[in-house]
Amino acid sequence: MITNIFIHPSTFFILGALLLPLLKKIKLDKIFLIAIPIIAMIQINFLPASFGVCEYLGFKLTFGKVDKLTYVFLHVFTLMSLIGCLYSMHVKDTGHHVAGLLYVGASLGVTLAGDYVTIFIFWELMAFASTFLIWYRRKKQSIEAGFRYLLVHMVGGLILLAGIFLRYKNIHDLSFTRIDVHAAGLAEYLIMIGFMLNAAVPPIHAWLPDAYPEATVAGAVFMCAFTTKTAVYVLARAFPGFEVLAILGAIMTIYGVAYAVIENDARRILAYHIVSQVGYMVCGVGIGTEMAINGACAHAYAHIIYKALLFMGAGSVLEMTGRSKLNELGGLYKYMPYALIFTVIGGISISGFPLTSGFVSKSMIVAAAGEHHRVGLMIMLLIASVGTFLSVGIKMPYFIWFGNKESDIQPKDPPWNMNVAMFIAAFICFFLGVYPDYLYKMLPYAVNYHPYTSYHLSESMQILAFTGFGFYLMVNKLKPDPKINLDVDWFYRKGTIAFMWLAKKPIAIVNDWVNEVYKTVGLKLTMSLAHAFSWFDKEGIDWTIDGAAENVVCGGGYLRNIQTGKIQHYIGGAVVLLFIVLAVIIF
Amino acid sequence: MAKLLSFLYDKSNIVKWFFFALLIFIIVFDYFAERHAAHFFGDNIIGFWTIFGVFICLAMIIICKGLSHVWLMKGEDYYDN
Repeated sequence: MITNIFIHPSTFFILGALLLPLLKKIKLDKIFLIAIPIIAMIQINFLPASFGVCEYLGFKLTFGKVDKLTYVFLHVFTLMSLIGCLYSMHVKDTGHHVAGLLYVGASLGVTLAGDYVTIFIFWELMAFASTFLIWYRRKKQSIEAGFRYLLVHMVGGLILLAGIFLRYKNIHDLSFTRIDVHAAGLAEYLIMIGFMLNAAVPPIHAWLPDAYPEATVAGAVFMCAFTTKTAVYVLARAFPGFEVLAILGAIMTIYGVAYAVIENDARRILAYHIVSQVGYMVCGVGIGTEMAINGACAHAYAHIIYKALLFMGAGSVLEMTGRSKLNELGGLYKYMPYALIFTVIGGISISGFPLTSGFVSKSMIVAAAGEHHRVGLMIMLLIASVGTFLSVGIKMPYFIWFGNKESDIQPKDPPWNMNVAMFIAAFICFFLGVYPDYLYKMLPYAVNYHPYTSYHLSESMQILAFTGFGFYLMVNKLKPDPKINLDVDWFYRKGTIAFMWLAKKPIAIVNDWVNEVYKTVGLKLTMSLAHAFSWFDKEGIDWTIDGAAENVVCGGGYLRNIQTGKIQHYIGGAVVLLFIVLAVIIF
Repeated sequence: MAKLLSFLYDKSNIVKWFFFALLIFIIVFDYFAERHAAHFFGDNIIGFWTIFGVFICLAMIIICKGLSHVWLMKGEDYYDN
């Protein structure tokens, strides 16, 4: 009975990750890399509503709790893992694949978790596994960025854990359910901060644009999909209708695009743009109406695919040229035309062109804000969509593939597996745009929204086309500079320098002084004590030990005589021993 | 594919005029778009989102680039020193 299969979908990924090094020995690793996501994609359709409930240390753990909200995220995560595995298939580091699979497995674990302890375990595994996707780039900047990424996530994890402990102390219940706005106290807000860190809500977002551009080409494709979107999922599950999320989400959308407009590194532009896009989802969760939650889920689904497509496009340029900074690129349209087409498809989808997935998903959140009479939020979201098209839709492809200059390098289009992965993602972008019901049917609430009205078409086309016109007017002002821009990571990146100075200068001086004191006073004291102990050791302890050692040597001599080296003697001895044991037991 | 792109690139003047024609078409289209359930005053003004698009786009470029130049922009080795 296929309906009875309720293996946790993470099991495939985690077992696969553990077995992958062995499978590589028999050259089956690539087949499994593709087979695992496909099996998971099929299997999530047959999950029961609840499974894997167990007691551990007095806590009731629920590894699997499935409803419509879970399903839509499971669906896109497994689909994305297939695209990601396909895209990274040519990577030779088995460790990279292991980290990728573990990362996906952990994010599925979070999505399915029914209690906070399970969430926390998978939450940490996610941070740990994804760090390796940064480190496998093997550059100095990547190693450093990886450490910063890991440390920031550990802090976030600890805040989450503190919240979980407090909540358990207050209500003695760890089940992961919707939290009422009026019942939320310190514990709940700590949990929310832990989640918001992974969703990259400013001012705790700087880890994302710091780390993602330093990850490996394929690693960034995985990372852009899972960490932030599991955070959106847990926020949507626990904190719908929290006003603070609506406001921070709307601010995020503009904050992210503002940096995307000025950044130089293609993958950093995309990373900042994740902040902006996740802002739409966080805002949707914060508005909290059925339509807004639907919009957040739909947007998460669409966003994972087109953002991955954009990262794949920019990544393929990095893979083939070794460059990702816009000022070093330009004129590639002659050499990498397919990567251009795919990236532009990602760009127009993210901007919400009609017939693409962004058009049917983003607008749902904007409309939900409008229907909830939140005009301020709605305008902010629309401002962000102008910036989206400006930065990711036009600026990035323009300066990589055109930029009004000839390319000084002649790269080829990327390997076939990368192209296939990009093709699949591009296809899904159009498929969802043309046939939105496929997505709408998966959403947690019934959808009563029609994206293709003449007014919505007119509104979108005006905003997008005239943003393009603005770009045309100002293209010279947007010329990329080989610079970086400060963000709030300044506080901990420069802060550590201050800390190191503190460690080197004042603390080192105190340390030296203590050393001097020790040399003059302590050392003499210690030496005389040592002499005293040495005398005691010689006269007292050695006498005892030596005596014991002599006895052992004597005993060893006797034992040597017994060991004849003949097997029959040993068997005889064993039998005698057996009889003695039997005798002891019987009598 | 590369040839097609090169062709379009060489004929960028035609592409430009096509783009301007599209802009005009879009404004005309807005005149005919059905308006119901307006969320705020801008929804009733024909061409409101045209002005919005151009204005926000220019403002964003000027403000962001300006902030970057006067404050945020640092050399690439800023954190290494």
